[in-house]
Amino acid sequence: MLEHGKIDSKQAILLMISMILPTAILIVPAITLKYAKQDAWLSLILATLVGLLIAWLVVSLSLRFPGKTIIEYTEEILGRVLGKIVGFLYIYTFMRIGSGVCREFGFFLVTAMMPETPMIVFIIIAIVISAYAVRNGLEVLCRFNQLFIPVTGLLVIAFLLSTTNMKLTRLLPVFDTGLLSIAQGAVSPIAWLGEILTLAMIIPYLTKPKEAYRVAVISVLLSGFILMINTMESLLIFGPDLANHWLYPTYNAVRVVSIANFLERLDAVILMVWILGGFIKIGVFYYAFVLGSAQWMGLKDYRPLVLPAGLIMGASSYFLFGINIVEYYSHLPYHLILPEVVIPLLLLIVALAKGKGKKSEDEAT
Amino acid sequence: MRKKIAILLLLFFLSGLLGGCWSRSEIGEEAIILGTGVDLTEDGLIRLSVQIASPGAFSAGGDTSGGGKEPPAWVVWAEGETIEDAERYLAMKVPRRIYWDHSIILVIGERMAKRGTEMVSNFFLRTGEPRENMWLMVARGEARDILQAQPMLAKTSAQATGFLTRMKTGYIVQIWEYAEMRASKGVQPVVTGVEVQDFGEGRGPGQGENSTVQKKVELSGVAVLKVDKLIGWLDAHETRGLLWLKGEAKEGAVIVPSPGEPGKEVSIKIRRSHTKIVPEYDGENLWFNVNIYVEGDMVEQQSRVDLAKPEQIKALETAMSEEIKARTTATLEKAQTEYGLDIFGFGNAFHRKYRKEWREMQNHWDEEFSRAGVNIAVEAHVRGIGLLSMPAGSPEK
Repeated sequence: MLEHGKIDSKQAILLMISMILPTAILIVPAITLKYAKQDAWLSLILATLVGLLIAWLVVSLSLRFPGKTIIEYTEEILGRVLGKIVGFLYIYTFMRIGSGVCREFGFFLVTAMMPETPMIVFIIIAIVISAYAVRNGLEVLCRFNQLFIPVTGLLVIAFLLSTTNMKLTRLLPVFDTGLLSIAQGAVSPIAWLGEILTLAMIIPYLTKPKEAYRVAVISVLLSGFILMINTMESLLIFGPDLANHWLYPTYNAVRVVSIANFLERLDAVILMVWILGGFIKIGVFYYAFVLGSAQWMGLKDYRPLVLPAGLIMGASSYFLFGINIVEYYSHLPYHLILPEVVIPLLLLIVALAKGKGKKSEDEAT
Repeated sequence: MRKKIAILLLLFFLSGLLGGCWSRSEIGEEAIILGTGVDLTEDGLIRLSVQIASPGAFSAGGDTSGGGKEPPAWVVWAEGETIEDAERYLAMKVPRRIYWDHSIILVIGERMAKRGTEMVSNFFLRTGEPRENMWLMVARGEARDILQAQPMLAKTSAQATGFLTRMKTGYIVQIWEYAEMRASKGVQPVVTGVEVQDFGEGRGPGQGENSTVQKKVELSGVAVLKVDKLIGWLDAHETRGLLWLKGEAKEGAVIVPSPGEPGKEVSIKIRRSHTKIVPEYDGENLWFNVNIYVEGDMVEQQSRVDLAKPEQIKALETAMSEEIKARTTATLEKAQTEYGLDIFGFGNAFHRKYRKEWREMQNHWDEEFSRAGVNIAVEAHVRGIGLLSMPAGSPEK
């Protein structure tokens, strides 16, 4: 095995949450609110349900092939050539999401906080820090995450503080936008929650792979819940008409909090979650990218790949997504449905048809 | 050993990065803006006026240091095609970096407001630096005059005006609330009005001999915007009606004629209130039932009648609801007939209840609103009567 570390279920849950949430809290509400308006909460419930299905799919598939990651078992299911092609697609997906996150990370910091700093500085800093964690292995990444995840709790505090600006009537009328809009609004949260796919790279390194179902379900539920809180926060403050005009509605919602004229300017909360979470999120995809590439090429150690992989991610964060934020947003997020839902589903069907892998009853390692 | 030295050197060089490098700015290099004003000049240019704090005047010794006192703020302006353009010209006059984060108020001049308020608000919402919770107001006259007015009980007029709004006596609005009203089809935006008033002769040693009349800022009613252009005003009385109908009359008093003694008044201070708008629509007729609930304490009585009796309190409550009804009806009529604009958010209430009908009606909502009938029902309660049971000093009859 390329990775010698083991992580327990709790660490895995926390890692998955930090892998989904950091970018979702700022970017998803805007897209969901644009389509679903005051029914955004319905979109999010729908998205969480679909996210649970994706989690079930990914975990069932992985548990049929104990000790193997998605890059390895696609070859077992589909044969050498086709397996390599699908495997490459996944490596590309991890790389693409990873570099997309770098781009989002830099874009927000440059747009909202530090317009004079070149974006590449933020991207390089994020990649260098993640590279260090990735090089030291999964355990280090998880511990880093455990250290910083309590910061996410600040989001809940920010929500509680901003209740003074909220009006519940802004949720009415229900079902105004229609089912289609609610479904459209659900697409981007599904894409984000579907990033639970990365768990397929990590399941072999769980101390108890059997608990993978629990890990996946809890991660998706918690992430869906926090995402919902954030979307509701901007919806209840700004109302359905204004909330979707912001690019980062959660950020603006936190900025208008002013309690007794001294508890205000809570932007820092968002910034802390964004920066610390951004490192982890980039780290997880970086790790999946590097580990997947090493397995795909049949290397004995993934560490030589860390540096080139970082360069590829940093560079493609510029080249893949266009120079401005409008182009970047036009890339979101429909293409993710293919690797997150369609291919795992096909893989599972083929595996069942060919009788490959263990049955789920005797999945002991 | 060599490794240790290498690590030490690395730490040493890395620590240089800790201070942050690019957007570094010392507080002494910032021009902290306290208030912003935007006017339209005669030649159709935008004039951006800003009130910049002089840090020296805010330090502890600033007040008492006697001679050579520097004024606490400096008002400076520049003109340009857009606000950003004007800001660039402003930067040629201000020897520091312009820093928006602490701007308390954004005042739009009357001419500018008639041309369009959104072309002003857009800059402040799009740029990250100004806060979304700046107080937004429209000046009767020029916005620059508001910034140049002398402050009362505060160091600068921007701060004083900020405090004024926070007292919630009039209708007040933050820039994001304006943006919400602007984005919604079910309500037309209204913005706080301010004006400059002469406050008699300047006295006291600090005011100097050259200024005899002091200019002070005063809240004055509400500016009514159609789409985003100023089309009229509500005076202070009508503003009370607006507050009642919007459910925001949380402060203030209701003055009612005293029961039993015409010509004398009783003041009731509002403690709690809320407003519920219930639309009714049968496909043809549209009307609204507005239910206002209010609780207040009697704080003043001009008459000498003994009001501490249940039936007198009842009469007082009736008088109170009549008064509120009259206020709201007057404002409503002005909005329906004179402006033909739904400034109260009745459209949003309608949308909540009749979502299907709204889809068609939202495009000509203001006409529908002008034709709609409104029933106002007020439930008023007098809760406390203060510390007196009888008008003190009057002999028992």
